[in-house]
Amino acid sequence: MEIQKLLFVTKFEQMGFDALQSILDLRNAALNHVVFMYVIEREDVAMKRGIGYQKGQEIRLRETANIRFIDWAENLFEQGMEVGVYIVVGSLVPEVIKAAQKEESDLIVIGRPHKGVLEQLYSGSDVAEVLRRAAKPVLVFKHDLEKAPAFEKPFNRPLLAIDWSPASLKAIEYLKGLKDVAREINVIHVVSQGDLEGFSTMDVQETRKQTRQKLDDICDNFKSEGMNARHHVYVGDPVEEIEKAARECQASMIVLGSSAKTVWVERWIGSIPRTIAEKSIYPTLLIPPEQK
Amino acid sequence: MAKKVLVVDDDPDVRLFSVTVMEENGYTPLEATNGEEGMKIIKKEMPDLLILDILMPRESGIRLYRNLKTSESLKHIPVIVLSGIAEKSFLRSQKVLTEFGGEPVPEPEAYLEKPVKAEVLADMIKKVIG
Repeated sequence: MEIQKLLFVTKFEQMGFDALQSILDLRNAALNHVVFMYVIEREDVAMKRGIGYQKGQEIRLRETANIRFIDWAENLFEQGMEVGVYIVVGSLVPEVIKAAQKEESDLIVIGRPHKGVLEQLYSGSDVAEVLRRAAKPVLVFKHDLEKAPAFEKPFNRPLLAIDWSPASLKAIEYLKGLKDVAREINVIHVVSQGDLEGFSTMDVQETRKQTRQKLDDICDNFKSEGMNARHHVYVGDPVEEIEKAARECQASMIVLGSSAKTVWVERWIGSIPRTIAEKSIYPTLLIPPEQK
Repeated sequence: MAKKVLVVDDDPDVRLFSVTVMEENGYTPLEATNGEEGMKIIKKEMPDLLILDILMPRESGIRLYRNLKTSESLKHIPVIVLSGIAEKSFLRSQKVLTEFGGEPVPEPEAYLEKPVKAEVLADMIKKVIG
């Protein structure tokens, strides 16, 4: 699994060229094609009473985006890369999914959601929708967060959170494709407190031992590719522990398999990958399960 | 028989503009929306001239230009680049791709930066293919 082509979705104010530059070390893996995308939200140019469709506003937004993209594209072209552009009017999520499919991109890069809690509850966040519908991995950038550490190279020290789901196991193969970019991989599994309730000390130790053994196998898998890998077992709330592990391991990014829960289950109960993608201060790479 | 000119550009307004210029000047226009589609039409129609944008979805003009100019059977087709991308960036990209181990390619017959006036485009087409 190589990342040759990425789709970079931007609204400019939160995802600028500096964000893109920070992941350009993917060229050491296989990246040679970047596709820029700017979606003019329909409501920004929609029909309004007494005004009609705001064609002038659409042209202004389109040309503003075009000027920025030309500048970025010239930079990348001069480095010998392929560049494409989409500037479309529509709804963000379907347009991103459509472009990713059309371009057959290997990675979608998108900024953190900006909707409020209530808005997200009723309409869902754009990022959560992209995560749910994308057939390809999605990197959620946190470039706009003040408290987010500045990562010059997010792919340098990924923290891989394993829950033994098919998607998280697929993430192992994905990361192996980044062996020329990832300097060290920390592999973590979080055992929830609930899983240990009613167990004897021996049982708990046995669980830990078995988990470590499985993590050891994963690390050996990475090492066979010439990659540095270390494993860790944490106990507690997965969201909090993954964040803690990322901090302690000085990770540059969190990598998880994304769940295949239904829209309503996710919206009301939540999911660990979605919560981390939205709340963590670390860039988060979500690997989708295999498409049926 | 009227000479065939293929315009490869993802912007429908630019295609319409170019097609109008060609029709008004007695050329037969052909259209494609990206490099991939453009190459298919080139192989099928063997146009007398290519008017090429650079920044497009699917496959950029950089790739199409390179594929065209390194193909024995297609390299004779002249190209006018019509793009918002600066000429120096285009030339630099071709130089870098050559340095990466690609075949050297010649410069395009003409390079026009968008936007361009109808008479300038018409004059340039006439200059390149008559």
